[in-house]
Amino acid sequence: MTQENVYADATRVRGDVIIELQGVDKHFGDFQALKNINLNVGKQEVIVVMGPSGSGKSTLIRCINRLEKHDAGRIVVDGVELSDDIRNIQEIRRETGMVFQQFNLFPHLTVLDNITLAPRQVRNVPKKEAEELAMRQLERVKIPEQAQKYPGQLSGGQQQRVAIARSLAMQPKVMLFDEPTSALDPEMIKEVLDAMVELAESGMTMIVVTHEMGFARAVANRVLFMADGEVVEVGTPEHIFENPDEDRTKLFLSQIL
Amino acid sequence: MAVQTDTAAVHRESPAVRWAKENLFSTWYNSLLTLIFGALFVWLGFSVIRWVFFEAEWEIVRVNLTLFMVGRFPREELARVWVSNFLIAGAIGLMAGAAAASAAAAAKEAGLPFTQSTPRNWLQRFWPILLLVVILLQFSQTWTPTVLTLVTIAIGVGARYVGLHLPRAVRRWAWLIVVVMLIGAYGALSWFGGVKWDSWGGLHLTLFVTVAGIVLAFPLGLLLALGRRSSLPLVRMLSVGYIEFIRGVPLITLLLMGIFALGFLLPPGVDPSDVTRLIVAITLFTAAYVAENVRGGLQAVPKGQTEAGQALGLSPWKVMRLIVLPQALRAVIPAMVGQFISLFKDTSLLVVVGIVELLQVSSIANNQPEFLGRGLAEVTLPFVALIYWVGSYTMSRESRRLEKKLGVGER
Repeated sequence: MTQENVYADATRVRGDVIIELQGVDKHFGDFQALKNINLNVGKQEVIVVMGPSGSGKSTLIRCINRLEKHDAGRIVVDGVELSDDIRNIQEIRRETGMVFQQFNLFPHLTVLDNITLAPRQVRNVPKKEAEELAMRQLERVKIPEQAQKYPGQLSGGQQQRVAIARSLAMQPKVMLFDEPTSALDPEMIKEVLDAMVELAESGMTMIVVTHEMGFARAVANRVLFMADGEVVEVGTPEHIFENPDEDRTKLFLSQIL
Repeated sequence: MAVQTDTAAVHRESPAVRWAKENLFSTWYNSLLTLIFGALFVWLGFSVIRWVFFEAEWEIVRVNLTLFMVGRFPREELARVWVSNFLIAGAIGLMAGAAAASAAAAAKEAGLPFTQSTPRNWLQRFWPILLLVVILLQFSQTWTPTVLTLVTIAIGVGARYVGLHLPRAVRRWAWLIVVVMLIGAYGALSWFGGVKWDSWGGLHLTLFVTVAGIVLAFPLGLLLALGRRSSLPLVRMLSVGYIEFIRGVPLITLLLMGIFALGFLLPPGVDPSDVTRLIVAITLFTAAYVAENVRGGLQAVPKGQTEAGQALGLSPWKVMRLIVLPQALRAVIPAMVGQFISLFKDTSLLVVVGIVELLQVSSIANNQPEFLGRGLAEVTLPFVALIYWVGSYTMSRESRRLEKKLGVGER
């Protein structure tokens, strides 16, 4: 028969907690994008967030690094609680990398300068050291030969890998991915997912908004299913994909398969 | 086979003839238009040449050449103008050389090809200015200006050579040397018992007001554009209010207010000269338009750029300075240079408040006893127009070049 879902409570994690959300609400005008979100993320855990569009997945991860300001509740990242203090916000952003759907590389800078910008400007790493660090990250995502090109000269898949390298160069403790493969042509999705799988296997804590079930099965510890601003269901990939408890989850899965 | 070879032989024409046949004489009405406009152009060209070389009485320009160049600048102090020119030429040369050396070094480091610009490139870029200088010099009655111009050019070329071969450590400070030289160029004119800018005139004053206007209006406009997007309501309101007020008032009104109405705003005892007041008025005017241009550029930068910068932990100021502004300013180079070309031409409005700038010299010359009532404005006005055109056209071409170099449009 079906196993008991050990993850049914989203706040229960194994090991140390690195991200903590308690009763988080977020409104855009009259629209409530997040309703009383409670979630703990453990160190080295990989969480995949799924859900229909408008369900609040992106808003959830954008609140964690304060690209959106939550209205109620607490968000604690690596022991620092998000407040309105800009220094506090920047401290959290330094430790939290983010990869966007539209890559958002800086088009006026070369790939190398895109990656060295933040280490040099935020962490005051000397130029030479920053460039070595950047080359290591580019090798990690397997495109060191593109270092001197401009983003506009690269394919979508290469751009997204540069974006991952750019975040990694800040040596973050947590990585947030906001639909990283949704804007890519099908033949380029794999190269980006490969880089993400490698990153997950290296022990990075990751929250990934994606509908790539193959990725979720391969590396996710937990899958979070959201709808209408709420966490509907949490569980292992096997549990969510094969024996979901909730009707909304079942409906959604039947639509994307 | 043989037939085809024959046809090929019959149709063997020079490319020019083929081009003309295809484009100018393709149909009977195209041929008719070609003939009509051809005749018109020939007649126009002939008339202009006849006027320039045989009919126009250039005497008025020849006699007043110094007046056109420097207005009422004291003649016994003219050496100062030349020393200042030498310093400016040196500064420009040094800057160009150092910039080329830096670009070459950067390209080498990145393993990309880099071609140095040749004298031919420079000729292609600056032929209008060169043409103007030649025209001016042939009006001159002595050889002194020609010799001094050649010295100026030699200094510029020499300084470029020095700039190219500066040791790397010194090259980083080249901009400082350039700034010092430019301040020196100003000092050569007005320090040590020199001539204050109230007594400058002619083309010299026109260029000074233009450069001062650009140098002052650009940062002020930038601040206003940022102020307009500020999160502080008071700053935002002040910026919007300022921009909308200035844009609602004609420049000529501001210039007249600068002369006649500024007194209300100034503390007693402070009484700036007319030229100073006008530079302030022109700066305030241009800054409002620069602000609107920059605002357009800021809006064109996608929000994701700011978010990516923030997510990396950059401070709001660094996000603006390193990510948003470089992209915004690139996008508005054409509009901004257009604004500066307007400024250059609008300096001719100083004529209404009695400043002896380039256009005013034209009417002064026509009021001299020997030229009075001879209708020689038909000579002096085209001459002045040529000078404005050379300046505007050069700025416009340099802007296009800068655009290309910075790759505007290719993201």
